[in-house]
Amino acid sequence: MNFSKKNHEHITKNSNSMSKTIKFLIVVALFVGFASCSDDDDPTPLVEVKSESIVNLHAPVEGGSQQGAPTFSGEFTKFDFATGKTTTSETEWDIAFRGLSIIVNGGTSAGTTDEPIRTKEAAVYIASGTIASVTEANLSMFKQDSETGYAIPEGSGNGWYTYAGDPTHLINPTPGKILVVKTRTGNYAKMEILSYYKDAPAEPDAFTDESPYFTFNYVYQPNDGVTTF
Amino acid sequence: MSKKHIFTLLSLFFTFLVSSQEENPTTKDSVKIENLEEIIVTATRTIRQLSSLPLPAQIISQKDIQRSNSVRLNNILNEQTGLITIPDFGGSKGIQMQGLDGAYTLILVDGVPLVGRLAGTLDISRITVGNIKQIEVVRGASSSLYGSEALGGVINIITETPKNGFHGNLNYRISSFNTHDLGTTLSYKKDKLGISTFFNRYSSDGYSLTDRNELSTVDPFRNHTINPKLTYKFSNRTDLIVAGKYYNQKQDYVASSLLKGETKIEDWNTHIKLNNKYSDTWSSYFEFYATQYNANEYLDDANSTSATDAFYKQLLVRPEIRATYNPNDKSSFIAGTGFNHETLDRTDFSEKPIYNSPYAYLQYDGNPTENINIILGARFDGHSEYKSQFSPKVALRYEVNDKLALKGSIGYGFKAPDFRQLYFNFTNATIGYTLLGYNAAPEAIKALDEQGQLAIISISLDQFDSELKPENSVSIDLGFDYKISTTLKLDLNLFRNNIDDLIDNKIVATKTNGQSVFSYFNINKVYTQGSEFNITWRPDNQLKITGGYQLLYAKDKDAEKAFKNGEVFARVDASSPSFQLKKDDYFGLFNRSRHMANLKVFYNIPEWNMDTNIRGTYRSKYGLNDKNGNSYLDSYDDFVDGYAIVNVAVNKTIYKNYRLGLGIDNIFDFTDPQNIGNIPGRILYAKLNIQL
Repeated sequence: MNFSKKNHEHITKNSNSMSKTIKFLIVVALFVGFASCSDDDDPTPLVEVKSESIVNLHAPVEGGSQQGAPTFSGEFTKFDFATGKTTTSETEWDIAFRGLSIIVNGGTSAGTTDEPIRTKEAAVYIASGTIASVTEANLSMFKQDSETGYAIPEGSGNGWYTYAGDPTHLINPTPGKILVVKTRTGNYAKMEILSYYKDAPAEPDAFTDESPYFTFNYVYQPNDGVTTF
Repeated sequence: MSKKHIFTLLSLFFTFLVSSQEENPTTKDSVKIENLEEIIVTATRTIRQLSSLPLPAQIISQKDIQRSNSVRLNNILNEQTGLITIPDFGGSKGIQMQGLDGAYTLILVDGVPLVGRLAGTLDISRITVGNIKQIEVVRGASSSLYGSEALGGVINIITETPKNGFHGNLNYRISSFNTHDLGTTLSYKKDKLGISTFFNRYSSDGYSLTDRNELSTVDPFRNHTINPKLTYKFSNRTDLIVAGKYYNQKQDYVASSLLKGETKIEDWNTHIKLNNKYSDTWSSYFEFYATQYNANEYLDDANSTSATDAFYKQLLVRPEIRATYNPNDKSSFIAGTGFNHETLDRTDFSEKPIYNSPYAYLQYDGNPTENINIILGARFDGHSEYKSQFSPKVALRYEVNDKLALKGSIGYGFKAPDFRQLYFNFTNATIGYTLLGYNAAPEAIKALDEQGQLAIISISLDQFDSELKPENSVSIDLGFDYKISTTLKLDLNLFRNNIDDLIDNKIVATKTNGQSVFSYFNINKVYTQGSEFNITWRPDNQLKITGGYQLLYAKDKDAEKAFKNGEVFARVDASSPSFQLKKDDYFGLFNRSRHMANLKVFYNIPEWNMDTNIRGTYRSKYGLNDKNGNSYLDSYDDFVDGYAIVNVAVNKTIYKNYRLGLGIDNIFDFTDPQNIGNIPGRILYAKLNIQL
């Protein structure tokens, strides 16, 4: 009994690692392609990180009256770095967008209408630099949302955007603001928002171009525990 | 329209020539080359020869003003080296000097200051040049003599005083945009008594640079200036000057097709000065000055219900006494003391503030040797609201030889926070942003928050606990005057202004309507540095050619650091990835051109009783907006292209007492509707002057 159980355990373990390896190889094959496959003798390579782009992530917001307290409402558009896709899952998301607000799946809700409950321990901070120059996540900088404010501060010039005011009234991403994200699975990603307007026009017009449509570049580090990009 | 006008002008011009030839020969102008020593009072508050001053100073003569056919002060100042009219967001036209904004230049009329800086800048277009004897410009910080506001420099407008006998003149100028300028001076002086009155009326239909909507760039306006003066000589030792001024202006105020109203300005002052000479060495004056500036504006909507109604009422009362001691002809001392009492009543203010500020100043002006002139001065300004200010200044001039003189000065300048920066509580009715004075802000933010108007408060309110400091500057000027020959002279001045504690607004909260709440803080340290260069060539009495150039670097010190440390980023266009900017990508402060230049040619044709001139000014590119949102002006932002303005004028005297002038300002019809609101395009004019 004992023996067989032991044996069984061993087999299970073995098959687990087997399937992991297979998945791993498939992922490598998918991401990297056959051409870059290394020799069989090499130690198991890390999955290569790659730059991705998301175009026109629609993040509508309702409310925001002219007087009185803010009454922003509407579902946040949630994003999952691991799949590189938006999701409607209540739990399996990393960051989410609604109008100018960007929240993270970690911490506590600020309590606005339709704001999702944070179920994981994702976190974020804003680094200064270019997407290329931010090469490592600084673990001491990560923040989560709280009742008093989001980890990505709101307001022109405070967070990711600058409001140009009169007469253009444009919302443009502030240059040099790189969002560094710790995902719900403990992986790291860096992203740069490029536009708030549909199809990311080079010369947006706040009066004719539709918003909010986020276009951003990101780099996701799929290897567990690796903080560099 | 312009073609027709040009044709009319040309035909008038030819009529001119023909008529002048018919009249020939007139008595030949036999005036010798002007070699009068120009006298300036602004630099030392004593009578000084311009050419012997250790400070960078300049005189704009009545003759040049008249030959240029200028109407308002901004017209003529704009043509001087390093000076440029910059409209602020309220539309007031201020003068940028040594790279400092209009708010940092003190504007005096006969030695006493004008008030009415609604948004910080004093609108110099409210000053007519019709009764100006000369304009004195002193560059560099001069708070040692004048106290607050004299950071960039001082512009002192000296008006005419009655001369012996009866004199009178009448001026009328008509120009494009249905603009009329009518002025007259009547003066009489006999024995001890002199009286004069100056009157000016100026009106215009304004202009519109875009056809986009019914809004004009400048709305129609009309204004009047009355300036009576009385001089009385009690004895050879005692004389009295009493002068008054009244100014009013009405201007349409059109905010949209539905919101229309009017802006009214009223400004008066009284200036009494009693001069006393006790002996050859001692003299003194007592001066009393009071001035009030009222502005009202309202907007009514389509149903004639009042949409906005705003007022501004500022009063300044200043008594001053001063003593002058001239122990010998090599040195002079002045000592003065006075008191500024200032009040303001204004809409959108949290209270009715009162400023009381006693002051005293002392100056030594001496020539220890024949070649050296030294000026030592200092002033103390006490203040009811701020830390008192001590403003010293040292200036030195060394005459190397008959041709070359070196000069240098270092001085302190300050500008006390104005009423607005402390007590404002203003919400823009149409756009919805809020601007709060520093002292008013903590309460006002709490109130807005309680009303639920704030989405985010982005600063902590204890930032308002310490006092707002006066903006201050240390300025250094170094230069030389060089007389190459009797006909050719040049001067060069290198300047540096180190300005600290600059007050600027920054966002303190975001409102639920998406607009911001701003308040004022001591934010920036900036410097402006560069050089001013002037050259005058006057081969004979008929021809005068002057050229001027200013090189300017105006930068924020923290911005420079940020660029150096690689902390500043930009995008090529709005939606492209960020990249790091280099040190050289920092352009400097907004609305500063690196190069400004002017060239003026004045030419007399005595045989035709004519004079003509052509005056050109140039400013190189400058930035108005931080387009890429990194909060700095860098080489990837949009720039306003450099431009040149050329003005021409022809004047002719007929029957001795009549003088006709024709001219075109901005002959190449330069406009930039998007960026430059105060350049209306080509202006054609005709002017008549009659000496009574």
